[in-house]
Amino acid sequence: MSEYKKGSLHPLTLIMNEAVSIFKTLGFVVEIGPELEDEWHNFDALNVPHDHPARDMQDTFFIKDQTGFVLRTHTSNTQIRFMEKLVKSGGKPPFAIVVPGKVFRNESTDATHEMQFYQIEGLMIGEDISVADMKGVLLEFFKKFFDGESVDIRLRPSFFPFVEPGFEIDLRIGEKWIELLGAGMVHPNVLKNCGIDNEKYQGFAFGIGLDRLMMMKFKISDVRFSYQGDLRINQF
Amino acid sequence: MLISYNWLKSYIKDVPEVDKLSDVITFHLCELESVEKLQNGDAIFDLKILPDRAHDLLSHRGVAYEIAGLLCLKVFENPINEINSSKTNLQIEIQTPSCKRYMGRIVRNIKVGPSPKWMVEYLESLGQRSINNIVDATNIILFGIGQPIHAFDLKKLEGEKIVVQNAKEGDELELVGSEKIKAKLKESDMMITDGVKSLAIAGVKGGLDSGINNDTKDILIEVANFDAISVRKTARRLSIQTDASKRYENVLSPILCELAMKEISNLILELCPESSFEEVVDIYKDVQNTKKVSFTGSYISKSLGINIPKEEIEKILKNYNYEFTVDDDSWEITVPSMRIDITRACDMVEEIGRVYGYDKITPKLPVVNSDIKDSNTWTKICLVKQKLIDDGYKEVMNYALTQKGDLQILSSASDKGYLVTTLSDGLKKSYELNKNNLALLEGSEVKIFEVGTVFLKSGEEIHVACGDKKGIIEVKLEDFNLDQKNYILNAETGNFKINGSGVNLVFKSWSLYPFITRDISVWVPEGTEPDALFNIYKELGTDLLVKNPMLVDKFQKGDKISYAYRLVFQSYEKTLKDEEINPIMEKINTKISSLGWEVR
Repeated sequence: MSEYKKGSLHPLTLIMNEAVSIFKTLGFVVEIGPELEDEWHNFDALNVPHDHPARDMQDTFFIKDQTGFVLRTHTSNTQIRFMEKLVKSGGKPPFAIVVPGKVFRNESTDATHEMQFYQIEGLMIGEDISVADMKGVLLEFFKKFFDGESVDIRLRPSFFPFVEPGFEIDLRIGEKWIELLGAGMVHPNVLKNCGIDNEKYQGFAFGIGLDRLMMMKFKISDVRFSYQGDLRINQF
Repeated sequence: MLISYNWLKSYIKDVPEVDKLSDVITFHLCELESVEKLQNGDAIFDLKILPDRAHDLLSHRGVAYEIAGLLCLKVFENPINEINSSKTNLQIEIQTPSCKRYMGRIVRNIKVGPSPKWMVEYLESLGQRSINNIVDATNIILFGIGQPIHAFDLKKLEGEKIVVQNAKEGDELELVGSEKIKAKLKESDMMITDGVKSLAIAGVKGGLDSGINNDTKDILIEVANFDAISVRKTARRLSIQTDASKRYENVLSPILCELAMKEISNLILELCPESSFEEVVDIYKDVQNTKKVSFTGSYISKSLGINIPKEEIEKILKNYNYEFTVDDDSWEITVPSMRIDITRACDMVEEIGRVYGYDKITPKLPVVNSDIKDSNTWTKICLVKQKLIDDGYKEVMNYALTQKGDLQILSSASDKGYLVTTLSDGLKKSYELNKNNLALLEGSEVKIFEVGTVFLKSGEEIHVACGDKKGIIEVKLEDFNLDQKNYILNAETGNFKINGSGVNLVFKSWSLYPFITRDISVWVPEGTEPDALFNIYKELGTDLLVKNPMLVDKFQKGDKISYAYRLVFQSYEKTLKDEEINPIMEKINTKISSLGWEVR
């Protein structure tokens, strides 16, 4: 039989595409960036100094014989690259970007941790973009993403060097609160490092784990199913 | 950081009960990893203290001040008595800029012995082992106020002299502790010496020889402040992280040394009433300056997106005992010495915001007008994937790490130490895997693709690879040929939405055991729908039938049609045997015969 069969996308791609689509309706455009990154874009420009305990917050893959290069530990590197490029070309805020992409952590794996996973980064900068806007955008995103379910978000104080204030954000689906993402108001040092006037402009950034969203949306119990090259995960 | 509720209570008499306190910490301070209620009535809070608050919150006193500020409560400091002290011959010499302050004090005629019950309980509640009264006293101050303290056996020093200096390259020092570590030193390591030999690695760990033992009579107490980067580098190189090194590498205020010296002296006098104290020698050159930070109320409100009334700001600052001045909307605060994290106005957005309550901020949807366009690379990736699935290919994802390649990873947690240079190797394995599982999959052949990054000496590239029975083709994303007329991502096609929701989207995990396939062909009269057979197989196949029966062949001869179906059996619990499938097939055959149809 040679009946015509349409192909299928990996569930992570489905999640990524849907997340991007929702953020586009909220005014974001898509940007992407490199996975092999220099320390400036992955750490220094993001207000994570050398020899500082903040560097230990993420287990990093360093590259042999290429001092100063790492596998990016977050999609936040692309915030920096985007803003540098914008300023260089004479542009300025306001803007809102999302960055879907693969990131890496040098840690042992289990059902909920992988050495590689996907994130979607958000960055919105303007003259008066605030925590209230961040709450609005994220709440709207989750409402659309978990269409038909009762959802809410709540903020808890946290710390990431590239934001101030920084938050952990919990998502409620039904009755249950789940710790889901990190976010915050972009640190003035980060804007300054990219050549953006931090007296005039402010805004927020966030990073959501897409593998986690995939596991939630499709009730997948083990994140390691994702990267086996196994088509049995393409069920949707 | 483990915090004992009872210990906290010694600082704040009316601290709220455990559950209320848990909520206060979680929503106004930091992540609470766990709360464990102990049998003795104590409760242990595990606070996740991140680097911004590791200057002041790695201690019970620090957490007490924070809770008191949040809840407008009063903190009771440990009573400090003036101690009679005699003249001292102790000499302290600092030969490295990495030692910010060194306070030393000789105490004579101490009596080493077991600690009193309250100290043992406090330490054990934090998972610490009681060693002896003197060592325990230093740990009580460490966990109490956050200042590391070291005690040396004075007899083991050459004279009554301390020199803080860099190590001699290649020197070794056997460290205190059960692991019997002999640290090999480098010149960049900061050492505490007596001018002749090393006594301790500054801020990291003491030497075995100069440690306190049961015969110790006279001691030297060290209360010092060491540079964060220096301590961090040494501790990391030697892979020794101690409660002391952790605090130093997060930067401590040298001002804390004064309180620590007073508290440890009082505690030792309480434990050893016969002991006599000499004067404190204090070398403190690099003095911590008082910082001021200014901000406006309107900036705080603009950042948070909610109007915070002036009275609220004032109330918060007062509860935290900030010294401040206010002029209309402009505030200037004096930063408390321990709050090294507060350096500019945005830090005060957090200080005001988290106390006021982030839950009070009403979400709103911003409008951003910008003419920036989506990344072309992203758009191309979407289009390539669209075209490939239109052509019948299915997407897979493989690991970026592999066994060999151009770029090697330094100390990988995985057994794969290189970055992939091609997608084809992964795709080849994936093709074999899926070909073996073909019976379990939809479709009659394996057609797969991957879009991903490869890492070459010249840098990274995004590639597209497709594999099927003809082989594998891999090209750079930019070289992938799209039919531009058919593949244009517009607002409509770019709007991806997953079909279905909730209960419809439940992933079915797969079995790790082998499957068995059985093909069955049946003659049925012309006009009989194949669904009739399909339904019989579904009904009688039991739950070992792991996927829908698949029609694999069909042909007509006269007024009869033959339908061939493939049935796939698999168990989630064990490897199936033919004997377990045969009875199922017999039942199916019987049913078909009873309908007057013929199994070929």
